[in-house]
Amino acid sequence: MHINTANWHKYMALPAFLLFSLFFLFPLFRGLQLSFTAWDGFSTPEFIGLRNFIQFFSDKRALGDMKTTLLFALGSAPLLNLCGLSLALLLNSGFRGRHLVRSLVYLPAVISPMIMGSVWYLLLQPQRGIFYLWLERVSVEPGNWMLHHGSALILIILVNVWQYAGMTMIIYLAGLQAIPEEQYEAAALEGSGRWKVFRYITLPWLFPSIRINVITNIIGSLSVFEIILALTDGGPGYATESLSIYIMRMCYGNKTGYSTAVAIILFFIIMVPVLITLRGLNRMGESYE
Amino acid sequence: MNRLALSKIPRYAAVMAVTLAAVTPFYALILIALKNPEGGLGAIRMVPDFYLLNFITAWEKSRMGRAFANSLVITAGAVFLVVFLAGMAGYSIGRVRSRLNRVIFMIFLLCMMIPGIINTVPLYTLLIRLKGINTYWAMIAVLGVNALPFSVFLYSGFIRAMGGALEEAALIDGCSYFDSYWRITLPLLKPVTASVVILQGLGMWNNYAQAVFFLQKGSMRTIPLAISLFFKQYGADWPVMAAAAILGLIPPVAAFLLFQKFFIQGITTGAVKG
Repeated sequence: MHINTANWHKYMALPAFLLFSLFFLFPLFRGLQLSFTAWDGFSTPEFIGLRNFIQFFSDKRALGDMKTTLLFALGSAPLLNLCGLSLALLLNSGFRGRHLVRSLVYLPAVISPMIMGSVWYLLLQPQRGIFYLWLERVSVEPGNWMLHHGSALILIILVNVWQYAGMTMIIYLAGLQAIPEEQYEAAALEGSGRWKVFRYITLPWLFPSIRINVITNIIGSLSVFEIILALTDGGPGYATESLSIYIMRMCYGNKTGYSTAVAIILFFIIMVPVLITLRGLNRMGESYE
Repeated sequence: MNRLALSKIPRYAAVMAVTLAAVTPFYALILIALKNPEGGLGAIRMVPDFYLLNFITAWEKSRMGRAFANSLVITAGAVFLVVFLAGMAGYSIGRVRSRLNRVIFMIFLLCMMIPGIINTVPLYTLLIRLKGINTYWAMIAVLGVNALPFSVFLYSGFIRAMGGALEEAALIDGCSYFDSYWRITLPLLKPVTASVVILQGLGMWNNYAQAVFFLQKGSMRTIPLAISLFFKQYGADWPVMAAAAILGLIPPVAAFLLFQKFFIQGITTGAVKG
């Protein structure tokens, strides 16, 4: 039997899209719907209007988690970009062994953040962790740095930057390597200074890399999950808990409806800075052209 | 030493510092993992003890063998699903400029910005109803679907850039576009497929945020789940915990060392062209 496949290619995106609709889009809209209900995950969801959202803003733990999430992102996203760019500029120059160093810097990014976080948990534990003991030996007294909100959050940020700086670096490196050599030669002929070369050649060419890195780092840091679970488990108390961890715990704590509302709020917490940044970056991009 | 060599010293110092920062945590981890428990826990020397029994204990107690098999089945299944679906979708989107394809592509692009945690809870309730909790198929479907937007983006970009000269030759011979995808285009997609397999496969292998919801039974644990649980249960025996962590991070590190080129390619395709 001959099957006529003349038109099939027009609909070849449908299988992917149908499965995506079932396991991604449907839950997304179902979550939006559930966010207006009180639901324990078992019985029938009860429509309660905006009560979940109102509750969120009087829920001390949720507000604390929002603050932790925002502080983490404010520390982590800029630092990741800064470190990634510095590393790329440093390791782009020609010296022996640069490929090895690049690989070593990138290596942590291929490991599960859950496992990497667990490793750092061992290294940083007060009184017992190797890094803690080394610091003590050179008479820096870190104290119980995992038990204070501020220092614990700083450690979490640093561990996250350590793990993913290599990822950001690779993208900046690719951007740097796409710059044609003639551009630099022309600048050298004109006798331009280092800063001028960076500002008028490197920066505009790096623009696509900057955009992708800034956006992915904003999204990634605002949805931080594993690193915190592994390092502090959200503690002490709920001091370092992030919103994504809160969503999971509310879901298991029979507050399924509420947890979907928190997810919707997190969605906006992520989308607003992403859209603002994209707009700002696009405007900046136009000024380069 | 001449002036040129001198001027390079700060740069070399910076490179040394970076290398040290990258390597030291791994070295410290190895020191802990090789520690003989008889020596007491306090003092860890810079030279390892080479007490390899820790690794055997870790392997057995964390049931790593089972976790390894689970991770392998789930990752392989999800990678296959993604390559199969995203390749086809990328072909259609790259070749046919219809309204349907534009809408689908737009939705994929937008959803690339939505992290998984946003819809994990409703997905969890959906999978309870579909009896998908603690099953391979559901985890494969979820991980595959989460990898679709970026993979479709990579495939469609590659196919568009590749042009259709070879396919057109097949069309003249009486093949349909659909047939010529399987016979001609698919084999030419190897570079993107390699990037998708490596990059998305790694993300699936490392997945914890979805696995912790959908795989709750002990026998279904993947490696990140097994490690995190092991750390909670054996919170005292540090050398064994460190050994377990090393066992858990060997597979992705080995994959990275073997397929470095595809890692870099996968991350940077699309990123630089914007």
